Amino acid sequence: MKNKYIFILTITITASLLLSIASESLKLITLKNVEIDKKKNVLSAIGIDIESFNNNSIDNYFSENIDSLVIDLDGNVVQTLSINDLKEVENNQNGEVKYFNNQNEYLPIYKDNNKNALIIPISGKGLWSTLFGYFAIDLDNFSTVKGITFYKHKETPGLGAEVSKKWFQNNFIGKEIYNDGNLVSIAVSKAGYADKNSLYEVDGISGATITSNGVSSFLMRDLSRYEKYFKKNN
Amino acid sequence: MSNKKTFIDPLIDNNPITRQVLGICSALAVTVKVEQALVMTLALTFVVAMSNAIVSLLRKYIPSSIRIIVQLIVISTLVTLIDKVLEAYMYDISKELSVFIALIVTNCIVMGRADAFAMQNDVKSSFIDGLGNGLGYGSILIIVASFREILGFGTFLNFRILPEFLNNGLMILAPGAFIILGLIIWFQRSITSFVEE
Repeated sequence: MKNKYIFILTITITASLLLSIASESLKLITLKNVEIDKKKNVLSAIGIDIESFNNNSIDNYFSENIDSLVIDLDGNVVQTLSINDLKEVENNQNGEVKYFNNQNEYLPIYKDNNKNALIIPISGKGLWSTLFGYFAIDLDNFSTVKGITFYKHKETPGLGAEVSKKWFQNNFIGKEIYNDGNLVSIAVSKAGYADKNSLYEVDGISGATITSNGVSSFLMRDLSRYEKYFKKNN
Repeated sequence: MSNKKTFIDPLIDNNPITRQVLGICSALAVTVKVEQALVMTLALTFVVAMSNAIVSLLRKYIPSSIRIIVQLIVISTLVTLIDKVLEAYMYDISKELSVFIALIVTNCIVMGRADAFAMQNDVKSSFIDGLGNGLGYGSILIIVASFREILGFGTFLNFRILPEFLNNGLMILAPGAFIILGLIIWFQRSITSFVEE
């Protein structure tokens, strides 16, 4: 029965044709969504209430206030590249994301001139998963924390997942990552044990010690990648 | 069977989840919030109804030796289509539902209805059967999601109705769905006094 082969061939070709048309015609909208989503995540690090923004106003805010920069590992701004040229590679062991263009490693930076903040991506392992987020510091002294946000993780709901809650993130605001010219980052201590007067410690989440420790360690690691840039521009 | 009966039957008496216990995996995964459950319901209903209609339209031409392959092609085309549309127009929800939309392909309800019903019946009643089964699945999804969202987050469709300190973390996790689903199946079977043979 050669009918069978003709039948399956027709069905397959029709289906794949249909899907390619759909995929191609929706591609632009989807790419736009991904881009807007990224912008939303960046903006939520500096405490902007993104719920009150629609897609257009996010685009507008971004183009008016945010400078996206690419720097090399020595802390020099690379004018010839934009953040979209960088390819993200995640290290599966520790969740560190590295950015490459033609085998060379770079780092992305967002500058918000309205809120006077510098925003960098952070990522690293918690208990179950890699946490992805953004960290914002003051543009003048590169030390005072303006905010932190996490937009993607798979930590335990109610425990580790509290990292994406306001109460936890608000603990960071106003803290300092530099002590006497040394990068000390922010330590996430045991819940309730943080020294209230310390500028370098915040309370962790009770029942989520490993997630809290993870945040501590990858925050330090990711901030130290930018140390050379901070030094050059301070 | 009349069209009305074809439509009503899978909603209650022959419900794919509570009676046939199909599609449990996604019923556990996407019932954390009502919004997700609603979108999943719409997506699955569309896929079952359309795949039923298309398979029924082709039923006289499909060689029986390759019928499962043909059904699978029809179903996965529709699912990929829905996935693309959600990505373009409901990006936030499509992010939350993630792989579960793509996994509609493996949902036993879709394949089961295509092979068991659409291969023997005309286009119109196949379409209605698909609608009924999709909505039957969805109604249970929405009931489970309502309990889980209200007890777990204290909200309904993101409106706060219970104070936050009453939130029960268990409801957000998979065991919460198992418990609620079990209670619903128990409740329905004690009324209809249906016993598994």
